[in-house]
Amino acid sequence: MSIATVFEIVLAAVVLGLGIWTIVVRETFSATVGFVAYGLLVALIWVRLDAVDVALTEAAIGGGLGGVLLLGAAARLRDADVMAAETPGKVVRASAAALSVLTTAALAGAVLLLPDPAPTLAPAAVANAWATGLSNSVTNVLMAFRAMDTMLEKVVLLLAIIGVWSLAPDSAWGGRPGPRHQADPDGVLAFLARLLPPVGIVVGIYILWTGADHPGGAFQGGAILASMWLLTIIAGLADTPPVSRRWLRFILVAGPCLFLVVGLVGLLFGAAFLSYPPALAKPLILGIEVAMILTIAATLGLLLAGAPERSAKP
Amino acid sequence: MTEFLTAAVGFVLAMLALGLVSILRGPGDADRMMATQLIGTGGIAALLLLGTVADVPAAIDVALTLALLATFASIAFVKKGLPRFEADGTASTEGE
Repeated sequence: MSIATVFEIVLAAVVLGLGIWTIVVRETFSATVGFVAYGLLVALIWVRLDAVDVALTEAAIGGGLGGVLLLGAAARLRDADVMAAETPGKVVRASAAALSVLTTAALAGAVLLLPDPAPTLAPAAVANAWATGLSNSVTNVLMAFRAMDTMLEKVVLLLAIIGVWSLAPDSAWGGRPGPRHQADPDGVLAFLARLLPPVGIVVGIYILWTGADHPGGAFQGGAILASMWLLTIIAGLADTPPVSRRWLRFILVAGPCLFLVVGLVGLLFGAAFLSYPPALAKPLILGIEVAMILTIAATLGLLLAGAPERSAKP
Repeated sequence: MTEFLTAAVGFVLAMLALGLVSILRGPGDADRMMATQLIGTGGIAALLLLGTVADVPAAIDVALTLALLATFASIAFVKKGLPRFEADGTASTEGE
Protein backbone atom coordinates (compact mmCIF):
# COMPACT_ATOMS: atom_id res chain seq x y z
CA MET A 1 0.00 0.00 0.00
CA SER A 2 1.63 3.23 -1.10
CA ILE A 3 1.79 6.31 1.07
CA ALA A 4 -0.62 8.13 -1.28
CA THR A 5 -3.23 5.43 -0.68
CA VAL A 6 -2.86 5.88 3.07
CA PHE A 7 -3.51 9.62 2.66
CA GLU A 8 -6.57 8.93 0.57
CA ILE A 9 -7.99 6.54 3.16
CA VAL A 10 -7.31 9.04 5.96
CA LEU A 11 -8.88 11.88 3.97
CA ALA A 12 -11.97 9.83 3.16
CA ALA A 13 -12.32 8.78 6.82
CA VAL A 14 -11.97 12.38 8.01
CA VAL A 15 -14.56 13.64 5.50
CA LEU A 16 -16.98 10.85 6.43
CA GLY A 17 -16.57 11.61 10.13
CA LEU A 18 -17.08 15.32 9.58
CA GLY A 19 -20.16 14.62 7.46
CA ILE A 20 -21.73 12.44 10.15
CA TRP A 21 -20.91 15.03 12.83
CA THR A 22 -22.48 17.78 10.70
CA ILE A 23 -25.70 15.78 10.54
CA VAL A 24 -25.95 14.74 14.19
CA VAL A 25 -24.79 17.96 15.89
CA ARG A 26 -27.74 19.77 17.45
CA GLU A 27 -26.79 23.40 16.98
CA THR A 28 -27.58 24.87 13.55
CA PHE A 29 -24.56 27.11 13.69
CA SER A 30 -22.05 24.36 14.46
CA ALA A 31 -23.54 22.24 11.70
CA THR A 32 -23.10 25.13 9.24
CA VAL A 33 -19.47 25.65 10.18
CA GLY A 34 -18.90 21.90 9.88
CA PHE A 35 -20.49 21.94 6.43
CA VAL A 36 -18.21 24.76 5.23
CA ALA A 37 -15.14 22.79 6.37
CA TYR A 38 -16.64 19.72 4.71
CA GLY A 39 -16.86 21.63 1.41
CA LEU A 40 -13.18 22.58 1.64
CA LEU A 41 -12.13 18.96 2.20
CA VAL A 42 -14.38 17.65 -0.56
CA ALA A 43 -12.63 20.03 -2.96
CA LEU A 44 -9.37 18.28 -2.01
CA ILE A 45 -10.93 14.90 -2.80
CA TRP A 46 -12.17 16.08 -6.20
CA VAL A 47 -8.64 17.18 -7.11
CA ARG A 48 -7.36 13.79 -5.99
CA LEU A 49 -9.95 12.16 -8.28
CA ASP A 50 -8.71 14.30 -11.20
CA ALA A 51 -12.07 16.10 -11.41
CA VAL A 52 -10.57 19.59 -11.14
CA ASP A 53 -13.61 21.26 -12.77
CA VAL A 54 -15.81 19.90 -10.00
CA ALA A 55 -13.22 20.91 -7.37
CA LEU A 56 -13.30 24.49 -8.69
CA THR A 57 -17.09 24.61 -8.46
CA GLU A 58 -17.02 23.11 -4.98
CA ALA A 59 -14.42 25.65 -3.86
CA ALA A 60 -16.43 28.56 -5.30
CA ILE A 61 -19.89 27.44 -4.15
CA GLY A 62 -19.29 25.19 -1.13
CA GLY A 63 -16.43 27.18 0.36
CA GLY A 64 -17.58 30.68 -0.60
CA LEU A 65 -21.17 31.50 -1.48
CA GLY A 66 -22.81 28.46 0.15
CA GLY A 67 -21.16 29.26 3.46
CA VAL A 68 -22.43 32.85 3.36
CA LEU A 69 -25.96 31.69 2.55
CA LEU A 70 -26.06 28.99 5.24
CA LEU A 71 -24.53 31.22 7.93
CA GLY A 72 -27.12 33.89 7.18
CA ALA A 73 -29.89 31.30 7.41
CA ALA A 74 -28.48 29.95 10.69
CA ALA A 75 -28.35 33.47 12.16
CA ARG A 76 -32.01 34.05 11.22
CA LEU A 77 -33.07 30.69 12.62
CA ARG A 78 -31.29 31.46 15.87
CA ASP A 79 -33.26 34.67 16.17
CA ALA A 80 -36.40 32.57 15.90
CA ASP A 81 -35.49 29.88 18.42
CA VAL A 82 -38.97 28.36 18.32
CA MET A 83 -37.87 26.31 15.33
CA ALA A 84 -35.37 24.36 17.42
CA ALA A 85 -37.71 24.00 20.41
CA GLU A 86 -40.23 21.96 18.45
CA THR A 87 -38.85 18.43 18.38
CA PRO A 88 -40.73 16.08 16.08
CA GLY A 89 -42.43 13.01 17.54
CA LYS A 90 -40.96 9.54 17.66
CA VAL A 91 -42.95 8.26 14.69
CA VAL A 92 -41.78 11.11 12.46
CA ARG A 93 -38.16 10.58 13.46
CA ALA A 94 -38.32 6.83 12.99
CA SER A 95 -39.88 7.16 9.54
CA ALA A 96 -37.35 9.84 8.55
CA ALA A 97 -34.52 7.51 9.63
CA ALA A 98 -36.08 4.59 7.74
CA LEU A 99 -36.48 6.73 4.60
CA SER A 100 -32.84 7.88 4.83
CA VAL A 101 -31.58 4.31 5.26
CA LEU A 102 -33.69 3.15 2.31
CA THR A 103 -32.35 5.95 0.09
CA THR A 104 -28.77 5.17 1.12
CA ALA A 105 -29.30 1.46 0.47
CA ALA A 106 -30.81 2.16 -2.95
CA LEU A 107 -27.89 4.45 -3.88
CA ALA A 108 -25.31 1.92 -2.63
CA GLY A 109 -27.09 -0.84 -4.53
CA ALA A 110 -27.11 1.23 -7.72
CA VAL A 111 -23.37 1.91 -7.40
CA LEU A 112 -22.57 -1.75 -6.68
CA LEU A 113 -24.73 -3.01 -9.55
CA LEU A 114 -23.04 -0.79 -12.16
CA PRO A 115 -21.58 -2.85 -15.01
CA ASP A 116 -17.79 -3.03 -15.11
CA PRO A 117 -16.51 -1.08 -16.99
CA ALA A 118 -19.20 1.49 -16.34
CA PRO A 119 -20.93 2.86 -19.45
CA THR A 120 -19.24 6.08 -20.50
CA LEU A 121 -19.25 8.53 -23.37
CA ALA A 122 -16.00 10.12 -22.26
CA PRO A 123 -13.82 8.60 -25.05
CA ALA A 124 -16.32 9.81 -27.67
CA ALA A 125 -16.31 13.32 -26.16
CA VAL A 126 -12.51 13.45 -26.16
CA ALA A 127 -12.29 12.06 -29.73
CA ASN A 128 -14.63 14.76 -31.07
CA ALA A 129 -12.96 17.68 -29.35
CA TRP A 130 -11.68 18.95 -32.72
CA ALA A 131 -15.22 19.99 -33.68
CA THR A 132 -15.21 22.97 -31.31
CA GLY A 133 -11.55 23.96 -31.12
CA LEU A 134 -11.62 23.74 -27.30
CA SER A 135 -9.46 21.14 -25.60
CA ASN A 136 -11.20 21.02 -22.21
CA SER A 137 -13.65 18.17 -22.68
CA VAL A 138 -15.83 19.31 -19.77
CA THR A 139 -16.39 22.67 -21.47
CA ASN A 140 -17.00 20.83 -24.73
CA VAL A 141 -19.73 18.70 -23.19
CA LEU A 142 -21.30 21.64 -21.33
CA MET A 143 -21.22 24.17 -24.15
CA ALA A 144 -21.48 22.05 -27.30
CA PHE A 145 -22.37 18.37 -26.97
CA ARG A 146 -24.96 18.87 -24.23
CA ALA A 147 -25.49 22.61 -24.64
CA MET A 148 -29.24 22.10 -24.26
CA ASP A 149 -28.79 21.05 -20.61
CA THR A 150 -26.62 24.06 -19.86
CA MET A 151 -29.14 26.41 -21.44
CA LEU A 152 -31.99 24.96 -19.40
CA GLU A 153 -29.81 25.21 -16.30
CA LYS A 154 -29.50 28.95 -16.87
CA VAL A 155 -33.28 29.17 -17.21
CA VAL A 156 -33.52 27.38 -13.85
CA LEU A 157 -31.28 30.07 -12.34
CA LEU A 158 -33.71 32.66 -13.70
CA LEU A 159 -36.65 30.78 -12.17
CA ALA A 160 -34.80 30.66 -8.84
CA ILE A 161 -34.36 34.43 -8.76
CA ILE A 162 -38.04 34.90 -9.64
CA GLY A 163 -38.88 32.57 -6.75
CA VAL A 164 -36.78 34.61 -4.32
CA TRP A 165 -38.23 37.89 -5.54
CA SER A 166 -41.77 36.60 -5.21
CA LEU A 167 -41.23 36.51 -1.43
CA ALA A 168 -41.09 40.31 -1.38
CA PRO A 169 -43.90 42.17 0.39
CA ASP A 170 -46.07 44.28 -1.94
CA SER A 171 -44.77 47.55 -0.51
CA ALA A 172 -41.16 46.66 -1.31
CA TRP A 173 -41.76 45.26 -4.79
CA GLY A 174 -39.25 46.68 -7.24
CA GLY A 175 -37.09 47.90 -4.35
CA ARG A 176 -33.62 47.02 -3.17
CA PRO A 177 -32.91 43.49 -1.88
CA GLY A 178 -31.55 42.91 1.59
CA PRO A 179 -30.70 45.37 4.35
CA ARG A 180 -28.41 48.33 3.74
CA HIS A 181 -25.11 47.23 5.22
CA GLN A 182 -23.00 49.60 7.22
CA ALA A 183 -19.41 49.20 8.26
CA ASP A 184 -16.65 51.39 9.57
CA PRO A 185 -15.28 53.09 6.40
CA ASP A 186 -11.76 52.93 7.84
CA GLY A 187 -12.22 49.43 9.24
CA VAL A 188 -10.66 46.18 8.15
CA LEU A 189 -13.79 45.00 6.29
CA ALA A 190 -13.94 48.12 4.10
CA PHE A 191 -10.21 47.78 3.49
CA LEU A 192 -10.64 44.16 2.37
CA ALA A 193 -13.57 45.18 0.16
CA ARG A 194 -11.29 47.67 -1.59
CA LEU A 195 -8.30 45.34 -1.81
CA LEU A 196 -9.85 42.04 -2.88
CA PRO A 197 -12.33 42.82 -5.72
CA PRO A 198 -9.71 43.98 -8.28
CA VAL A 199 -7.80 40.73 -7.73
CA GLY A 200 -11.02 38.72 -7.68
CA ILE A 201 -12.33 40.21 -10.93
CA VAL A 202 -9.06 39.33 -12.69
CA VAL A 203 -9.16 35.78 -11.30
CA GLY A 204 -12.85 35.40 -12.27
CA ILE A 205 -12.18 36.41 -15.86
CA TYR A 206 -9.07 34.23 -15.92
CA ILE A 207 -11.11 31.19 -14.77
CA LEU A 208 -13.60 31.87 -17.58
CA TRP A 209 -10.86 32.26 -20.20
CA THR A 210 -8.80 29.25 -19.12
CA GLY A 211 -11.97 27.13 -19.23
CA ALA A 212 -11.46 26.63 -22.97
CA ASP A 213 -8.39 24.44 -22.52
CA HIS A 214 -8.06 23.79 -18.78
CA PRO A 215 -10.48 23.31 -15.89
CA GLY A 216 -12.61 26.40 -15.39
CA GLY A 217 -15.60 28.02 -17.01
CA ALA A 218 -18.39 30.54 -16.80
CA PHE A 219 -20.06 29.15 -13.68
CA GLN A 220 -16.95 29.12 -11.52
CA GLY A 221 -15.85 32.52 -12.82
CA GLY A 222 -19.36 33.90 -12.30
CA ALA A 223 -19.41 32.63 -8.72
CA ILE A 224 -16.13 34.45 -8.01
CA LEU A 225 -17.43 37.69 -9.56
CA ALA A 226 -20.65 37.38 -7.54
CA SER A 227 -18.62 36.98 -4.33
CA MET A 228 -16.65 40.14 -5.10
CA TRP A 229 -19.87 42.07 -5.72
CA LEU A 230 -21.32 40.78 -2.45
CA LEU A 231 -18.18 41.76 -0.59
CA THR A 232 -18.54 45.40 -1.61
CA ILE A 233 -22.23 45.26 -0.64
CA ILE A 234 -21.54 43.68 2.76
CA ALA A 235 -18.83 46.27 3.46
CA GLY A 236 -21.30 49.07 2.73
CA LEU A 237 -19.29 50.43 -0.21
CA ALA A 238 -22.07 49.69 -2.68
CA ASP A 239 -25.81 49.12 -2.40
CA THR A 240 -27.91 46.44 -4.03
CA PRO A 241 -29.66 47.80 -7.13
CA PRO A 242 -33.47 48.07 -7.14
CA VAL A 243 -34.79 44.94 -8.86
CA SER A 244 -36.97 47.03 -11.16
CA ARG A 245 -33.90 48.45 -12.98
CA ARG A 246 -33.94 47.68 -16.68
CA TRP A 247 -30.18 47.08 -17.01
CA LEU A 248 -30.28 44.58 -14.18
CA ARG A 249 -33.07 42.60 -15.77
CA PHE A 250 -31.27 42.76 -19.10
CA ILE A 251 -28.16 41.21 -17.55
CA LEU A 252 -30.27 38.54 -15.84
CA VAL A 253 -31.72 37.34 -19.15
CA ALA A 254 -28.68 38.04 -21.36
CA GLY A 255 -27.09 34.59 -20.98
CA PRO A 256 -30.14 32.40 -21.63
CA CYS A 257 -31.37 34.75 -24.39
CA LEU A 258 -28.10 34.70 -26.32
CA PHE A 259 -28.00 30.93 -25.91
CA LEU A 260 -31.55 30.66 -27.28
CA VAL A 261 -30.82 32.98 -30.21
CA VAL A 262 -27.72 31.00 -31.18
CA GLY A 263 -29.73 27.79 -30.84
CA LEU A 264 -32.55 29.06 -33.08
CA VAL A 265 -30.09 30.35 -35.69
CA GLY A 266 -28.57 26.86 -35.69
CA LEU A 267 -32.03 25.41 -36.23
CA LEU A 268 -32.82 27.77 -39.13
CA PHE A 269 -29.50 27.74 -40.97
CA GLY A 270 -27.63 24.76 -39.60
CA ALA A 271 -28.19 21.11 -38.84
CA ALA A 272 -30.11 21.27 -35.57
CA PHE A 273 -31.04 23.35 -32.55
CA LEU A 274 -27.83 24.65 -30.94
CA SER A 275 -25.59 23.31 -33.71
CA TYR A 276 -22.59 25.56 -34.27
CA PRO A 277 -20.87 25.82 -37.66
CA PRO A 278 -17.41 24.28 -36.99
CA ALA A 279 -15.54 27.39 -38.19
CA LEU A 280 -17.48 29.64 -35.79
CA ALA A 281 -17.79 27.20 -32.90
CA LYS A 282 -15.14 28.70 -30.67
CA PRO A 283 -16.13 32.39 -31.07
CA LEU A 284 -19.80 31.47 -30.56
CA ILE A 285 -19.07 29.45 -27.43
CA LEU A 286 -16.89 32.23 -26.04
CA GLY A 287 -19.58 34.82 -26.77
CA ILE A 288 -22.22 32.75 -24.99
CA GLU A 289 -19.87 32.21 -22.06
CA VAL A 290 -19.16 35.94 -21.71
CA ALA A 291 -22.89 36.68 -21.60
CA MET A 292 -23.38 33.78 -19.22
CA ILE A 293 -20.70 34.84 -16.74
CA LEU A 294 -22.46 38.22 -16.35
CA THR A 295 -25.83 36.53 -15.93
CA ILE A 296 -24.46 34.00 -13.44
CA ALA A 297 -22.62 36.64 -11.41
CA ALA A 298 -25.72 38.87 -11.22
CA THR A 299 -28.07 35.97 -10.47
CA LEU A 300 -25.92 34.39 -7.74
CA GLY A 301 -25.31 37.79 -6.15
CA LEU A 302 -29.02 38.64 -6.13
CA LEU A 303 -29.96 35.16 -4.89
CA LEU A 304 -27.75 35.73 -1.86
CA ALA A 305 -28.94 39.31 -1.39
CA GLY A 306 -32.47 37.96 -0.92
CA ALA A 307 -35.94 39.31 -1.61
CA PRO A 308 -36.53 43.04 -2.12
CA GLU A 309 -36.99 44.59 1.32
CA ARG A 310 -36.72 48.34 0.85
CA SER A 311 -39.00 50.33 -1.36
CA ALA A 312 -37.30 51.99 -4.32
CA LYS A 313 -39.14 55.23 -3.58
CA PRO A 314 -37.76 57.19 -0.63
CA MET B 1 11.94 15.80 -3.79
CA THR B 2 8.62 14.06 -4.38
CA GLU B 3 9.01 12.10 -1.13
CA PHE B 4 9.62 15.32 0.74
CA LEU B 5 6.57 16.98 -0.81
CA THR B 6 4.44 13.92 -0.08
CA ALA B 7 5.58 14.01 3.52
CA ALA B 8 4.68 17.72 3.59
CA VAL B 9 1.17 16.84 2.35
CA GLY B 10 0.94 14.33 5.17
CA PHE B 11 1.98 16.94 7.72
CA VAL B 12 -0.52 19.49 6.41
CA LEU B 13 -3.30 16.88 6.42
CA ALA B 14 -2.44 16.03 10.03
CA MET B 15 -2.78 19.73 10.90
CA LEU B 16 -6.12 19.76 9.08
CA ALA B 17 -7.29 16.87 11.22
CA LEU B 18 -6.24 18.81 14.33
CA GLY B 19 -8.28 21.76 13.07
CA LEU B 20 -11.24 19.40 12.72
CA VAL B 21 -10.88 18.35 16.35
CA SER B 22 -11.11 22.03 17.20
CA ILE B 23 -14.32 22.34 15.15
CA LEU B 24 -15.82 19.39 16.96
CA ARG B 25 -14.86 20.60 20.43
CA GLY B 26 -15.73 24.26 20.04
CA PRO B 27 -16.69 25.41 22.63
CA GLY B 28 -17.80 28.73 21.13
CA ASP B 29 -19.00 29.58 17.62
CA ALA B 30 -16.00 31.88 17.13
CA ASP B 31 -13.60 29.03 17.94
CA ARG B 32 -15.29 26.87 15.33
CA MET B 33 -15.12 29.65 12.76
CA MET B 34 -11.40 30.17 13.41
CA ALA B 35 -10.80 26.45 13.01
CA THR B 36 -12.61 26.57 9.65
CA GLN B 37 -10.28 29.37 8.59
CA LEU B 38 -7.32 27.21 9.61
CA ILE B 39 -8.71 24.35 7.56
CA GLY B 40 -9.15 26.69 4.59
CA THR B 41 -5.52 27.77 4.80
CA GLY B 42 -4.36 24.18 5.26
CA GLY B 43 -6.52 23.07 2.36
CA ILE B 44 -4.87 25.67 0.10
CA ALA B 45 -1.42 24.39 1.13
CA ALA B 46 -2.45 20.77 0.60
CA LEU B 47 -3.88 21.63 -2.84
CA LEU B 48 -0.70 23.38 -3.94
CA LEU B 49 1.46 20.47 -2.76
CA LEU B 50 -0.88 17.85 -4.24
CA GLY B 51 -0.90 19.71 -7.54
CA THR B 52 2.88 19.61 -7.64
CA VAL B 53 3.23 15.98 -6.51
CA ALA B 54 0.51 14.59 -8.79
CA ASP B 55 1.39 17.00 -11.62
CA VAL B 56 -2.06 18.60 -11.82
CA PRO B 57 -1.29 22.26 -12.62
CA ALA B 58 -4.99 23.18 -12.46
CA ALA B 59 -4.96 22.46 -8.72
CA ILE B 60 -3.31 25.88 -8.41
CA ASP B 61 -6.48 27.47 -9.83
CA VAL B 62 -8.55 25.66 -7.23
CA ALA B 63 -6.18 26.90 -4.51
CA LEU B 64 -6.51 30.43 -5.91
CA THR B 65 -10.30 30.23 -5.78
CA LEU B 66 -10.21 28.89 -2.23
CA ALA B 67 -7.80 31.62 -1.18
CA LEU B 68 -10.12 34.30 -2.60
CA LEU B 69 -13.30 32.91 -1.10
CA ALA B 70 -12.23 31.28 2.17
CA THR B 71 -12.61 34.60 3.98
CA PHE B 72 -16.26 34.93 3.00
CA ALA B 73 -17.61 32.52 5.58
CA SER B 74 -15.91 34.44 8.38
CA ILE B 75 -17.12 37.79 6.98
CA ALA B 76 -20.67 36.44 6.99
CA PHE B 77 -20.06 35.14 10.50
CA VAL B 78 -18.89 38.51 11.77
CA LYS B 79 -21.75 40.36 10.07
CA LYS B 80 -24.57 37.94 10.87
CA GLY B 81 -23.52 35.69 13.70
CA LEU B 82 -22.02 38.10 16.18
CA PRO B 83 -24.62 40.91 16.67
CA ARG B 84 -26.39 38.69 19.17
CA PHE B 85 -23.42 38.69 21.51
CA GLU B 86 -22.02 42.14 21.04
CA ALA B 87 -24.13 45.14 21.93
CA ASP B 88 -22.56 47.02 19.06
CA GLY B 89 -24.18 50.23 17.87
CA THR B 90 -23.84 49.44 14.19
CA ALA B 91 -25.04 45.89 14.65
CA SER B 92 -28.42 46.97 15.99
CA THR B 93 -29.09 49.63 13.36
CA GLU B 94 -28.35 47.40 10.41
CA GLY B 95 -30.84 44.69 11.44
CA GLU B 96 -33.76 43.92 9.24
